[in-house]
Amino acid sequence: MTILKLVIRRSLMSVVTLLLVSLIIFSMLEVLPGDVASRILGRDATPETLGQLRTELGLDKPAPVRYLSWLGGLVTGELGQSLVSSRPVEEILAPRIFNTVLLSAYAFLIYLPLTIIPALLQALNRDRSVDHAFSVVTLVLLSVPDFLLATILLLAFVVMIPLLPAISLVDQSSSAWEYFRAMTLPALTLAIVMAVYAVRMLRDNLIEVLDSDYIRMAELKGLSRRRVLLRHALPNALVPTLNVTALNLAYLVGGVVVVEKVFSYPGFGSLLVDSLQLRDLPVIEATVMISAFVYVVANLIADVAAILLNPRLRTG
Amino acid sequence: MSVDTLSAPPGRTRSRWTSLPSLWRQTPLSFRIGLIVLVAHLLVAATGQFWAPYGFSQMGTGRPLSGMSWTHPFGVDQLGRDIFSRVVHGSHIVILLSLSGTLLGLIVGAVLGLLSGYVGGWIDEVLQRFLEALISIPFLVLALIAIAAAGPELAGNPVLIVLVVALVYAPRIARMARSVAVDIATRDHVTVARLRGESAWSVMRRELLPNATSVLLVEFALRAGYAPVLIGSLGFLGFGLRPPTPEWGLMISENRALIIVTPITVLGPGLALASLVVGLNLFTEGLARILGRTVKLGVQ
Amino acid sequence: MDAKPVISVEGLSVSYRQGAGFTRVVEDVTFAVAPGEVFGLVGESGCGKSTIALQMLGYRPPAMRTDAGAINFEDRNLLALDRSGLDRVRGARVAFVPQNPTTALNPGIRVGSQIDEILAAHGADAAAARVDRTLELFGLVGLPAKPEFLRRYPHQLSGGQQQRVCIAMALACDPAFVVLDEPTTGLDVTTQEQIVALLIDLRARLKMSMLYVTHDLGLLSQIADRVGVMYAGRMVEIAPTAELFTDPKHPYTRGLIGSIPRIEDRSGLPARPLRGLLQRHELPKGCPFAPRCDWATPECFEERQELEPAGPSREVACWRWHEIAVPADARAVSQAPEVDHPDRLLAIDKVTVTYGSGRGAFVAIRDISLDIGKGETFALVGESGSGKSTLARAVAGLIAPAEGTIALAGKPLAGLVRQRTPEERRLIQFVFQNPDASLNPRARIAKALARPLAFFFGHASEARVQAALADVRLDGKYAARFPDELSGGERQRVAIARGLVAEPSLLLCDEILSALDVSVQASILALLQRLKAERGVAMLFISHDLAVVRMLADRVCVLFRGDIMEIGRRDQVFSAPFHPYTHSLLEAVPAPLKPNAHKGGASNEAANAPSDKGCAYAGRCAWQIGEICTKERPPWRETDQGLRIRCHHSLDELTSLATWPNATDIDDGRAAQ
Repeated sequence: MTILKLVIRRSLMSVVTLLLVSLIIFSMLEVLPGDVASRILGRDATPETLGQLRTELGLDKPAPVRYLSWLGGLVTGELGQSLVSSRPVEEILAPRIFNTVLLSAYAFLIYLPLTIIPALLQALNRDRSVDHAFSVVTLVLLSVPDFLLATILLLAFVVMIPLLPAISLVDQSSSAWEYFRAMTLPALTLAIVMAVYAVRMLRDNLIEVLDSDYIRMAELKGLSRRRVLLRHALPNALVPTLNVTALNLAYLVGGVVVVEKVFSYPGFGSLLVDSLQLRDLPVIEATVMISAFVYVVANLIADVAAILLNPRLRTG
Repeated sequence: MSVDTLSAPPGRTRSRWTSLPSLWRQTPLSFRIGLIVLVAHLLVAATGQFWAPYGFSQMGTGRPLSGMSWTHPFGVDQLGRDIFSRVVHGSHIVILLSLSGTLLGLIVGAVLGLLSGYVGGWIDEVLQRFLEALISIPFLVLALIAIAAAGPELAGNPVLIVLVVALVYAPRIARMARSVAVDIATRDHVTVARLRGESAWSVMRRELLPNATSVLLVEFALRAGYAPVLIGSLGFLGFGLRPPTPEWGLMISENRALIIVTPITVLGPGLALASLVVGLNLFTEGLARILGRTVKLGVQ
Repeated sequence: MDAKPVISVEGLSVSYRQGAGFTRVVEDVTFAVAPGEVFGLVGESGCGKSTIALQMLGYRPPAMRTDAGAINFEDRNLLALDRSGLDRVRGARVAFVPQNPTTALNPGIRVGSQIDEILAAHGADAAAARVDRTLELFGLVGLPAKPEFLRRYPHQLSGGQQQRVCIAMALACDPAFVVLDEPTTGLDVTTQEQIVALLIDLRARLKMSMLYVTHDLGLLSQIADRVGVMYAGRMVEIAPTAELFTDPKHPYTRGLIGSIPRIEDRSGLPARPLRGLLQRHELPKGCPFAPRCDWATPECFEERQELEPAGPSREVACWRWHEIAVPADARAVSQAPEVDHPDRLLAIDKVTVTYGSGRGAFVAIRDISLDIGKGETFALVGESGSGKSTLARAVAGLIAPAEGTIALAGKPLAGLVRQRTPEERRLIQFVFQNPDASLNPRARIAKALARPLAFFFGHASEARVQAALADVRLDGKYAARFPDELSGGERQRVAIARGLVAEPSLLLCDEILSALDVSVQASILALLQRLKAERGVAMLFISHDLAVVRMLADRVCVLFRGDIMEIGRRDQVFSAPFHPYTHSLLEAVPAPLKPNAHKGGASNEAANAPSDKGCAYAGRCAWQIGEICTKERPPWRETDQGLRIRCHHSLDELTSLATWPNATDIDDGRAAQ
């Protein structure tokens, strides 16, 4: 009962956050100083085109009305029309989202072993050379921006060892193999960036658990090393790990923007950059809302999982 | 025996700050390496304009795309500009923008967060929801739409970049400062000040801020470490500074097409950027350890 | 020690990594524990006693290094065993009871399984047999021996129950030796008492050998056969418990014993409270205790004495032990005289304070009326949760009373501090329990004292700050220091000074001694006595420590669950008739050499929830009459001397029920009452 209440409370908070996000995005892009129409048209604006565009966008209506109708569209899935191609936004988004989800899933597959294995090795060899070596490597990798890492990987696997394509253009007609080849470099980039961060956190969490009173107690009870590690340490290190993974999912939403752009992968992130360059407002708004939605849901899942895994809240 | 006045025993005064060399030796290794790297970068930033071999937009300094050589350690781009000189000239731009953006974010975030955490109540609740919403927009996305919202007249303006960095950081710093304030606010010395009737501003200045400095310092260093990457990403995507500004992210983007012919034109600016961030990260980690805090490197 | 010892420690030296180098924390310690013996290890925090406790199980955290020595147990050296060898000893032959059961039990595993796994690890194969054994163990330690109870998670148990689980776990495999590392320190006073009673009971029944590590020497008098006193990593004295208390040889032991407040003793405070505390790097080359020792000679600083025999089964490490003939108990500071204060300063009228609202509301204090005279020291006594701190917070304006009024010098005070006038805020000052938290760690002492001066009087002079320090007997040089450069006692002096510079008429002292070491407590208490006489400031003195209250208070009020149980002048409260709760508090005070102090059973853990009807103490009362106690609110009974007791028993009945103090404890002073 209490668990259900907590979960509902937490979910409601996420809804409030998303509402606020929509308000912030809307006001930033439409209400803030400067005329939207002239911003969209930029230097090519003439009085006629401006007036035409204003009516087209419904800019003659007051801002709160426009906000509510946009919000209604978000909820029902009618995201309006692209200003550039005049196609419905949801039609433009669908294939891009598919591509990005595929890429993210691939990245996560690489990310898991890349995280768990080094972190375990470090925690078990704490303060020895293995631990220090990994710490140095992760620290350096942590400092390499994702666009630079992508470029270096490109140099390595395309220029020096020509295994993979430099440009990851795919569409519905591409075969699974083409998809796989196209996605490998972007996925590897994302996985490394996520793993570097997660390894450091997981190592610290594991060490913290291994340092805790109950692990010492378990050792003083004469339990075997194996049992101490598997039964007492790992389950308790799991909850913070979930948190890292949620954070990483949140990173991914921003990370795809750069990485997809580097490899010209036709996903959701490159769509955002393109539409920003074209000042295609309805597409920008929809994309940003989706990225915030993913972030909020990822955090919600992590928190709910933490609630469910917390023995203090478990009944019976 | 009655209670005599306690005289201050000798040797308990702070002897930590005796001599600089011994102080240096007490600091963690990561701090020392980080500091050396940082000082090197700051020196280049401060003096680079005077000794850089060529101007940042000077063309025809060598044969275009001629690769690495003694005269052109980072190669030459297709316009014949010396990349090494451009990197040196760009140094102060990257560092200045990063530090001022982070500092602005820190000031705004710390004041908001500390006050909000101390005052509590509905003001705190509303502010927290609002900050949470801002944090929910991935920071690169937030930076991009902020630049889009600013409109074409301001695009490429360094002041805009500073404001955008501050906008991205302030909510995150505020959230952290708030949790520190909530923690400190329950301590008895704050209750003592409250009982005396001190105003919220006075409590923040006298009781919260001095005790939050170490956290805020680490936070500043941590965020400053990521600011060059953020600015670089914006430049790389074409939303940052305008060419021919020698901003490192922008240069990596410009020279990416040359990677097959002359990879050093990309790796040179990349090395500069990565070494600056490594330096800042090492410095942050060491600083955190000196101040007895833990820090999660990597801003996510 | 006729028989072969169960376990013996020989020449043990241990270091901890600190920065680049190692710091010695245990230096050449040797002792042995005989079969069936309880050996107590005592010393202040950081003296190395817990390190030794862990070494007895061959346990060594990554930063710890054993430099020399051996621990012999069942013909093996525990320090030389590998991990699998240790796994066979730990839990099975040598068991451990931790300091903090809340963190020592794995939060994610049911308590039954946590005991089950130790049985399984040491050879009990049949699952059913293990369950039976677990239930048997739970019965042994006074926990419900029910299968449902095995399925609980640690957080579903109280602190006392968690510690019982840990004790059951330690006993699971019938070990030959049990190490107890401060097993009651993390618990509240009442629970502490029950756990000690359980241990005494188990000890009598199981005839086990134990090492009992604690900082509380008074506690050891009840449970240990022999005591080893440690100071700065060295053993300074070993003696049978009774002899240690009657005839301590080492100056440090004398200080420790002299510092224990004694409730039965009316003559006053210990003569030689221990002075100051030292950082480890400030220790001299010779005897580590020399800087704090009243008997130290220059040679003590230069050369260290090893343990040497000082009588049958006694050892001491001091150059001058045979010369020091002053009795440890020479007391000079006496109990403050009880004074009448007829002018009323603070009037608390029918005050009720609740936390939270609606269904979850919790009544912390209910309908309390009392007043404090000008210059009077008024003590509030009760266990944690009795509402005594809540009352102080309401007076200070940190929480507004739900009902009732609080008036200062005849004028009613607003509920919350921000609605009060600056003058009202100045007149009431608060001193908190923990000086570590109540001083801003980033402000120098001068700043901490100057701020209230500037705030209330508009200006703060260097001279005023110096005078404020002098008032609390601190040297003027302290002004330039930060709180972390002061000891706990010095910090509490500063906190008191900060309250006094505002020139209040009422000082609220919330458990201001309980975070301090006993030795420091004594000197702060003496300071308070002096301030009371010199400054004429009234004090609301909150404490759970009856011995301290008895030294200081003019009047005493005993609270239980937000209700006043007994209120009156000090000497009245400390003599029959007693309220049953007051009586149980007096009985619970641990005192050295008070045999069988604990008559309470091992299992009255939980009391009934408080109800609006009846007596708040019903359910826990040893003298309960019957249904009337839970159904009807007890009447006030008043003696001729003005002592008021709330109880269904008549005053005569209460007088006849009283057994405190024990016949052996009665000293001359009490008869006069």
